[in-house]
Amino acid sequence: MILTDTYTIFWREMKRYRKSRSGILIRLIQPVIWIIVIGNTFAGTRPLIQSVGFHGSYIEFMAPGVIMLTAIFTSIFGGVNTLWDRRYGFMNKALISPISRSSIAVGKMLAISLISALQSSLILGIALALGVGIADPLMIMPIMLIVIAFSLGFSGISVVVAATAKSQETFWGIINFLGLPLFMLSPALFPLELLPSWLAFLAKLNPVTYSVLLIRQMMTGTVKPFSVVLDVAIICIFVVVMIALASYVFTKEVSKPF
Amino acid sequence: MIVAIYNARNVCKLLYAVETRSLSKIYKNGLKAVDDISMRVENGEIFGFLGPNGAGKSTTIMILTTLLKPTLGEAYVAGFDVVKQAKKVRQNIGYVQQDSTVDEYLTGRENLELQAKLNHIPKDSIKNRISDILNLVELSDRQDDAVVTYSGGMRKRLDIAGGLLHRPKVLFLDEPTLGLDIQTRYKIWEYIKTLHKEFEMSIFLTTHYMEEADRLCGNISIIDHGKIMVTGSPKSLKNALGSEVVVFEVNSDLKLGDLLSEIKNIPVVKDVTTDGYEVRVFSSSGNHVTPKIFQLASYMGIKIESISLTSPTLDDVFLSYTGRELRDENGDHYNRKKEREKMRRLRT
Repeated sequence: MILTDTYTIFWREMKRYRKSRSGILIRLIQPVIWIIVIGNTFAGTRPLIQSVGFHGSYIEFMAPGVIMLTAIFTSIFGGVNTLWDRRYGFMNKALISPISRSSIAVGKMLAISLISALQSSLILGIALALGVGIADPLMIMPIMLIVIAFSLGFSGISVVVAATAKSQETFWGIINFLGLPLFMLSPALFPLELLPSWLAFLAKLNPVTYSVLLIRQMMTGTVKPFSVVLDVAIICIFVVVMIALASYVFTKEVSKPF
Repeated sequence: MIVAIYNARNVCKLLYAVETRSLSKIYKNGLKAVDDISMRVENGEIFGFLGPNGAGKSTTIMILTTLLKPTLGEAYVAGFDVVKQAKKVRQNIGYVQQDSTVDEYLTGRENLELQAKLNHIPKDSIKNRISDILNLVELSDRQDDAVVTYSGGMRKRLDIAGGLLHRPKVLFLDEPTLGLDIQTRYKIWEYIKTLHKEFEMSIFLTTHYMEEADRLCGNISIIDHGKIMVTGSPKSLKNALGSEVVVFEVNSDLKLGDLLSEIKNIPVVKDVTTDGYEVRVFSSSGNHVTPKIFQLASYMGIKIESISLTSPTLDDVFLSYTGRELRDENGDHYNRKKEREKMRRLRT
């Protein structure tokens, strides 16, 4: 039953997404600007990147980072409709129905992660159009699976914050405080090896780091089996922890008066 | 013996659609929104829950629909404890909230599909149920349009359809006609009556409109400041005020106070209220009171501009139990003494 309940919420969120076509394009503008502006601004850092063993251009180096940027922001913003749902009564409607409360949280997270993958795949397409190479086109599916898994975990942050925050202002305050630093504290734009050791240490605590490294390897076709297992394991642990945490916090918070 | 008593208690619970025992809700800021409420709603009746803004209606509904936990006391809906058997309660209730909760970008049918899935309606019967209910609320021809194109009345009908789709035993209707025009309001009342007859469910209705309660409800409770002031059928409550009301208008309030206290001394008079120059005299026999009012007025030199004889309305009942003063939404600044005086006058 919990699976069908989760699917019900997922179904509703996806319906809503499909009806908001204008939003889909607007959300692509920022990542595209990142690729074009940052990609060209830092084109001169190519010797630095080559010094740590990456042989492509800077744009090729940062393209996986921008795919992750899209995934981070799509999923971390995705939970905001929880606040609308509470304000406009849909949440009450769901809460007084017999469905389980954690399935509301998980259904939302699943929908957000799929939306995130859709947005990221569009960015991947744009990157390819801009001349970024991909070693093996068959890698696109596994890359998207990684994006879905990562976004599932990251959307948990969004759902937790949205369930706890009582207002839009609080939500956006916390989300903006979290989003950009988590992106910056990763090898998305700059190699880990060249960071000061304390920053590199912080970056290694960040799940974004492992997703970026993995996707970069997959795109350039330099996948090393050992690191794949480690990266995938860390992402999986992150996802499981976030699902558990989000279900717990959500169930607890929504039973409080809004 | 003990088992027998226990069983008897359980049977009692099942007899009522809603039952509360000394139910209280105290919010963190100390506000007592619901204060020791005990009530019973019979199975199959339409029960009206009336009260001014901030009286505790919404909090009570939220407790009964398992959205809030009570601080003290017990509540049973469809025979199940709202705290210990919340899931069972949720399987047996429908709740049409005051504000529209339909998804604007989904079509009417999609909204009902969502409602059906949330309430675990078997997959193979979803389609037919939705078609039936859409027919009933006359939305079949617009079912595939996005709700954003619906009028307020259509949205409300869709909301009501959603609350009924899973055929709940108890339906909660929170201000079902708030903000709707008269035509739509009459139509919604018709739907509620039809639905009540067709599905034989109990309906727990809150409203500000006395006419609505009068037309629909078998019994009503008037709640104010978290307490139930009175319970009964609309007819009996109106009769308790006196079977007739003499309404008269004077041209100045000079010596009006003296006149009122004289009128109050007439034996059959039960209550006197004023609103500006308009005076309402509640009594068991208006025919006898009217000449006396004329006598007293001419004796005191007060000119009566107009006079008429009517029956009490539910508005009169409501005002006599809740007073006329406007409320602070928090329920503070409340003059209990005045309220008690009013109650005493009513009883004698």
